Amino acid sequence: MNLKNQEELLHTLEGLHTIETIAETLNITTQSALNLITKLKRQQYVTVSGKGKTKRLYKITQIKQRPRVPGMFDIINKYSPHMKLNPWYDHQVHGTYGPEEALIDAIQTQSFRVILASLHLFRHINNWPKLYQLAKQKDSWQKIGALHDLAKLYFKIRHLPQKYQQLKTKKKYYIIKEYPTKETKFQPITQKWHVNIPFRLGDIQKTIGG
Amino acid sequence: MLNYQDQDSLLKLLSTQLHQDVTCYAFGGNAMMFYGYKDETKDVDILFETLDERDEFIRILKFLGYSEISAIKIYVPEKLKDKHAPIMFKRDESRFDLFVKKIFQTNLSPKMKEDVFAIHEYKEKHTLTIKVLRKEQLVILKAVTDRVNDFEDIKTIVAKDQYFDWEYLTDEVLWQAAHGDGWVLLDVEETMQQLKKYVFIEQKWFEKLYNAR
Repeated sequence: MNLKNQEELLHTLEGLHTIETIAETLNITTQSALNLITKLKRQQYVTVSGKGKTKRLYKITQIKQRPRVPGMFDIINKYSPHMKLNPWYDHQVHGTYGPEEALIDAIQTQSFRVILASLHLFRHINNWPKLYQLAKQKDSWQKIGALHDLAKLYFKIRHLPQKYQQLKTKKKYYIIKEYPTKETKFQPITQKWHVNIPFRLGDIQKTIGG
Repeated sequence: MLNYQDQDSLLKLLSTQLHQDVTCYAFGGNAMMFYGYKDETKDVDILFETLDERDEFIRILKFLGYSEISAIKIYVPEKLKDKHAPIMFKRDESRFDLFVKKIFQTNLSPKMKEDVFAIHEYKEKHTLTIKVLRKEQLVILKAVTDRVNDFEDIKTIVAKDQYFDWEYLTDEVLWQAAHGDGWVLLDVEETMQQLKKYVFIEQKWFEKLYNAR
């Protein structure tokens, strides 16, 4: 197949397909469609979803679908069972990246949904010293502490060591700018950490699947 | 020529040598490789927000054997008189065009900063953050840089993308023109006229540009 033909083929097939719709669109046999998909997959124009008994879906694009490494959205979506995020940009981190780094990045986004979904990351934080160091670099340790206490109200999470619960400053923070704490249930957390929590009880229910 | 794997390895290598965090914006052939529009490129175009970050990047390029070259045969001479012309480094078949704050007269606009297509972070002791600009921004900047092969790249982007947003592109062009870019309107209009031979562009987008003149 020459380059021009392949471009036309990709233009015709662009979108989601099953093997039958590919065969039907191109008026070829299922076996020929499978051979074609194998070739396009090798060239990175196709990705496949569906395993085992699930019907396979082929996503075909005119541009190559590069292999990805996980970023913030991937980590949050992996650990947040009920609230999933639709990324508005493709975030990839080449290097060490886990729940600790993703939590810090989530706070930096200042996005209501991202921070809410990231509460589940506290269930997977193992390395408190690392999280503390990362948070200190971004001046967000108090925010982490407040979100930890908030998450603790709803999920079973690991205990935050006492030495990290000491406040060095009494500076006042907002998780999201100009959104003060309105829920009385969260007032003790605000008083302890000097951090305003923007969420309402209904928001938390969404992320815990209530 | 750099292919996608080469670019990835090179960026990882660059990040290992960093003495400070560096953030930059990709908008040339390298950005097109991140998208999947092309497989290899020789021009890596990068825009930095600060001179400090560019200097750090240059230090590592020199360490890796890149040497500075003249931009004379690559860019239109009148553009090279601009104080925001790039510094260029070359090794074998790969070339880095490094800009700071502006690409000639084109600003790093608020939309460029907010609406990135992708963020690739190369984390070592320090982090190299590459922000890949939106495809509409790539087209504008390629129209502005106007080098050999830039038009071919624009054609590829517009032809392969059924969701190309002309409204976004024209809005950005008008913003740039209103903020002191004296070339962008002419460059983009000329590119759009050439593109009309290959893709359908509604007349209203041309009129939007003409009304701004």
